[in-house]
Amino acid sequence: MAESDNDLVTMEGIAKSFPGVQALEDVDFILKRGEIHALVGENGAGKSTLIKVLTGVERQDAGTIQYEGKGVTIKSPQHAQELGISTVYQEVNLCPNLTVAENILIGREPRKYGGVDWKSMNAQARQILEGLDIHIDVTQTLGSYPVAIQQMAAIARALEISSARLLILDEPTSSLDAHETDKLFEVMRKLKSVGVAIIFITHFIDQIYEIADRITVLRNGKLVGTYETASLPRLELIAKMIGRNLAELDDMVKIKLESSKHIRQTLLKADGLGHSGSIEPFDLELRAGEVVGLAGLLGSGRTELAGLLFGVDKPDQGSITVNGKLVRHHSPLGSISRGVALCPEDRKAEGIVDELTVRENIILAMQANRGWFKYLSMQEQYDIANRYIKLLNIATPSADQPVKNLSGGNQQKVILARWLATNPQVLILDEPTRGIDVGTKAEIQKLVLDLAEEGKACVFISSELEEVLRTSHRIVVLRDREKVTEFSGEVDEHKIMQAMAGSGS
Amino acid sequence: MMRSMGAFVSNNRRFLPLSATIALFFVAYIVGAGVYDGMRDPQIFLNLFRTSPFLLISAIGMTFVIITGGIDLSVSGVIALTTVASAALLRTGDWNPWVVMLLMLAMGMALGAIMGGFITYLKVQPFIATLAGMWVARGLCFFISDDAIPINNRVYRILGQTKILIPGLSDPVTKQGDFISILVVVMLLILFAAIYIAQYTRFGRTVYAIGGNEHSARLMGLPVNRTKMLVYILNGFCSALAGIALSIYVMSGHGLYARGFEMTVIAAVVMGGTLLTGGAGYVFGTLFGVLITGLIQTLIQFNGQLSSWWTNIVVGALTLIFIGVQSLLFVEKKRRTGGRKLAGEEAPPLPRATRTRQVLLYSGGAVILIVLALLAINGAQNAASGPSANTLTPLSVSCELKPFRQDQAASLVKDGAAIVYERNGGASCIDELYAIYPDGRIVGDDGANQIEKQVTEEEVNQLLAEISARGWYTDEMYSTSHVPCGQCFSYNLSVTYQGKEKTVEAVDGGTDAPANYWQVVSLINGVIPDFSPAP
Amino acid sequence: MTPSKPSFKWRKVTESKLFFPFVALAFILLFDLIFVPGFFNFSTRDGHLFGSLIDILRNGTTVMLLGLGMTLVLATGGVDLSVGAVMAISASVAAILMNPVIIGVKLPPDLMKFINDPNFTYAPLWEVILVTLIVAIICGLWNGILVAYARIQPMVATLILMIAGRGIAQLITNGVRIQIFYDPYAFIGNGWLVLPFPLYIVAFVFAVAWLLTRKTSIGLFIESVGVNFRSSFFSGINEKRIKLIAYTFCGFCAGVAGLVASSNIRTSDANNIGMNYELDAILAVVIGGTLMSGGRFSLLASLIGALVIQATTTSMYAIGVPANAVLAIKGLVVIFVILLYSEQVRGFIRRITPQKEA
Repeated sequence: MAESDNDLVTMEGIAKSFPGVQALEDVDFILKRGEIHALVGENGAGKSTLIKVLTGVERQDAGTIQYEGKGVTIKSPQHAQELGISTVYQEVNLCPNLTVAENILIGREPRKYGGVDWKSMNAQARQILEGLDIHIDVTQTLGSYPVAIQQMAAIARALEISSARLLILDEPTSSLDAHETDKLFEVMRKLKSVGVAIIFITHFIDQIYEIADRITVLRNGKLVGTYETASLPRLELIAKMIGRNLAELDDMVKIKLESSKHIRQTLLKADGLGHSGSIEPFDLELRAGEVVGLAGLLGSGRTELAGLLFGVDKPDQGSITVNGKLVRHHSPLGSISRGVALCPEDRKAEGIVDELTVRENIILAMQANRGWFKYLSMQEQYDIANRYIKLLNIATPSADQPVKNLSGGNQQKVILARWLATNPQVLILDEPTRGIDVGTKAEIQKLVLDLAEEGKACVFISSELEEVLRTSHRIVVLRDREKVTEFSGEVDEHKIMQAMAGSGS
Repeated sequence: MMRSMGAFVSNNRRFLPLSATIALFFVAYIVGAGVYDGMRDPQIFLNLFRTSPFLLISAIGMTFVIITGGIDLSVSGVIALTTVASAALLRTGDWNPWVVMLLMLAMGMALGAIMGGFITYLKVQPFIATLAGMWVARGLCFFISDDAIPINNRVYRILGQTKILIPGLSDPVTKQGDFISILVVVMLLILFAAIYIAQYTRFGRTVYAIGGNEHSARLMGLPVNRTKMLVYILNGFCSALAGIALSIYVMSGHGLYARGFEMTVIAAVVMGGTLLTGGAGYVFGTLFGVLITGLIQTLIQFNGQLSSWWTNIVVGALTLIFIGVQSLLFVEKKRRTGGRKLAGEEAPPLPRATRTRQVLLYSGGAVILIVLALLAINGAQNAASGPSANTLTPLSVSCELKPFRQDQAASLVKDGAAIVYERNGGASCIDELYAIYPDGRIVGDDGANQIEKQVTEEEVNQLLAEISARGWYTDEMYSTSHVPCGQCFSYNLSVTYQGKEKTVEAVDGGTDAPANYWQVVSLINGVIPDFSPAP
Repeated sequence: MTPSKPSFKWRKVTESKLFFPFVALAFILLFDLIFVPGFFNFSTRDGHLFGSLIDILRNGTTVMLLGLGMTLVLATGGVDLSVGAVMAISASVAAILMNPVIIGVKLPPDLMKFINDPNFTYAPLWEVILVTLIVAIICGLWNGILVAYARIQPMVATLILMIAGRGIAQLITNGVRIQIFYDPYAFIGNGWLVLPFPLYIVAFVFAVAWLLTRKTSIGLFIESVGVNFRSSFFSGINEKRIKLIAYTFCGFCAGVAGLVASSNIRTSDANNIGMNYELDAILAVVIGGTLMSGGRFSLLASLIGALVIQATTTSMYAIGVPANAVLAIKGLVVIFVILLYSEQVRGFIRRITPQKEA
């Protein structure tokens, strides 16, 4: 069959599960020779698992892989490399203290009289990079170059080491600016012209349309579909990624956002607040009794915005006033004392303290606010902990269970409890329902609305647009690290997605 | 012009700490030579090399370990064990000295392999694993022998005392002039071999890679585990070799040698520009770190006014400066990998941390300059004098301890002396023998001169009573002994009172002697006359 | 959803922080029971209790004191290598305050003759102790600032004071080993109140540490910072101040240890006091179950860890192992304990013993 002669990789019916989660279910994936193929999906879609299966880091539970027309079992990363499959990750996995030339060639350096032949190595490295149209001094340490160049070196090594026929680039542009991204794309096109197939994992929609030939969309471990870029309108892509059916939308279903009866004074006001490199200056008002939903794709700057409001990052420009008073010292502790709380996105790294117990995790921020000497008595701590365990339905044998033993969803609840315990006026929730079962999701959404009823100002951030719509009184849309617009009252969901997607649909 | 200079500097930023060390060395040397005439003798420069073989050889091995991001605290234990084991083997007279040396090297490598295995495969922290190794190695010394074992081997003696004359600076006919020793030649060979290994072999480059990012190195397919093992084996080899050098230098072996040495080694490596966090540093820099350590000691000797423990303070301050430089220039770089912060990683450096470091760096630099200036000013006052007698360091043992003059002491007691007190040792290996008679006469003899003093009979009686009151004649007062440190003294004291005579010996600088012994010594010291004129 | 405190379970005992150290100590004592006749005998003399067990307690006080301070530092994920040097500095300061003749202070002749009198001291005892402890606290502050504010790696930062500190200690006393005659001072290390007096000091410092960490939120914050730096930051904990407190307290403990040690041998020996004690202190804490990477800690477990080390040493002496060879045994104990706590071995044990549902 002439059609599949052009196929480099054919994955059929791939399934993979880990304890507690089905990462991939019946996924098909076909990669043609010499094509640039974008692999997209929101968090938890299964992209990284698929790649791990392809590169031999994991073995699939079910399904087959064909490589260059032959059935194959990829036994290990080494094996994958031997087959010609190479990966470059977002964190450049090279050694910053070695020179560029060394990083590219170490392990296969040219030798002279039993020792390293530096001259040849440098010349060779220079040559390889020039093949990618990069002209730099290869004798400098890798760490002295910006990430963009480091990535080039990583790509060069990946190509060199395995004479790669398949190059996987995992979120390569996250740390690059526009100019560097262009450069990367040039390199990619050059590789394509010599027959290297590239899988390009990214969440930047514009870039997909710039460089990719075909797009595969995954969602919640399942394959949504594979499409030719040229024939997939942007809006449709977004819809598929976040699970909306465009046909439904065409019915112009209008959503009427709840208008809360209790919206009162402005609690927090951000004026031209920005941090270069992470988010453009924005204005935002948070009012008591109102839930503001933040909609935007991954990488649009939602977490960065939340971080600025809470004081995790210090702003370069603009100001924040809380209750009318200008904020001078930006820090988490300061925010807590002012009644602003953030339930962070990465619960493992920024949320739970896993060795500590449920009780300790819950009272932690509250105690930090009280300082060193007003230590809550054990009885008080247990009271508070038990109250929230009950309120949020946290499944734990006792308040003394180390948090690491809880399931993800319950861990999230513990973190939520921590912030609720600080009795904030403004509560910012960054992806509070990620990795949580449906029932609990609904609980949390309801809780947020209830908190608003009580007079708090809430910010609700989620990749699931549906959730945001259901839980918010007002929606702020972010795109490419910039606040684009706000919606309230009667909204056209179509318009929201357009705002998220950007120009051209 | 400024811009190209700036570009040159930033292109070669990684050489900055190394350059700083080298510059500091030369500046300090030139200043010293300017101030002290004696320092202009080329032999002084060569002496810097002559007294550094075991420090440099150890430091070379340690450099490799530190570059991988690890640490090896066992060096001093292995060195001590080497000296004791070689001395013990040589004492039997059956062993060929060369075979002994090879055996010691093998032993060092084996110990290194064991610790390396714990660190690499059992994932024990290097700090703890090598600490345990140090204890075990040192402890093993004492299973061999409690006391120092002298070495009388011809080969060792020749190796230690041969002077290799420097052509052009010496007269081959009279065999006088500037020289270095065989150990120095060996040391230089090791140095060049190490530099080659570090820069030109895959092993060396893998060492750097591991220090830069071990995880990446693994992903890059480098033989990380094998290299880590080799690094500790290599360090074991160097420690053993340093131990051989030490045993040649002091011609003996003892379990108490090289105590605390590992810290000096680490300091020398750090001053040489190697980052303790790993991944950066040059063997060549270690050479200068060692030379600077030696230079500091030399400067202090020439100064004569400052006590030798200033060495420790200066070394500590210099280490601080260098670490400050390192932090500023290098650790900052790691933060520059943009994008999302990885889980658990530290928050980006708040500007305050950088500022604090800069403050420390500049104030530290000022401190060093002030110290050097003080040295210079002080030195200008003693420009003509040579090294002062009482500032030799424990590293160099250059005078011979004299034994107690038992016969002379016995005859003094027979003569009717109530107290016979002998004290020997110290930095200049003195030997002073005093006799205090009941009638108040005190006679002192230091081997060259005699000295006399007269006190009253009551004072002598009171002294004797106080000595007795401190339990001199009870079981709580007993003799102890251990190998003295470079500046320590040994005491032999006989007291005859109310018909009872008792002699008790002790060595200071330890914790084995009964506490009251030192009180007695103090009392006697307060009464006897001094041999040297007061400073 | 069950309310607070669970009832007694065997599992709770084995999972308690004190379990392993207790087992280690029991093991050693068992060894003594079998192999050393008379080890457990008690006797009284002059109203004091004597016996090998008392020896262990008495000789272990220095490491126990250091261990208390070191526990907090290790719990924040750091380490303090300078405690031995701080001990030396403290001893030197105390000695010259009692006997400043060494540094050239000229006393009037009628005082001079009292210089070796057991009742004489130049500065009153309370002043000696206070000034010494203040100096020790300053040393701790110095370490804390380097680690927390200048963000220098703990091992590197404390290495500096470790090297320079000895020099400073020697400088203070001009290198002379000062004999201490003042009896009340000697009581600190040598006195008895039925039990050796230093034990009461340990109890006091322990009480202070306990109050500091368990009656305020400082203990909780230390553990939080040690386990997860970033999450603690998000929760509003000022990690810098916490680390500063830990290192300062460690300096304080080293100061107390210096007082006890120098009083014990009635000398301030800048060269040798505290030499290599930092390593013992770290080991004591590690045996006590605090990970070197930081996190949960237990002061009591560290004390037991110190006793384990001391018991090993004393037992070795009791069966006649030559003094310096005990070091080798200590090394082997370290290896054994570390292996026991190492992840690999624990993983192995976990795999071969049945586990309950996580």
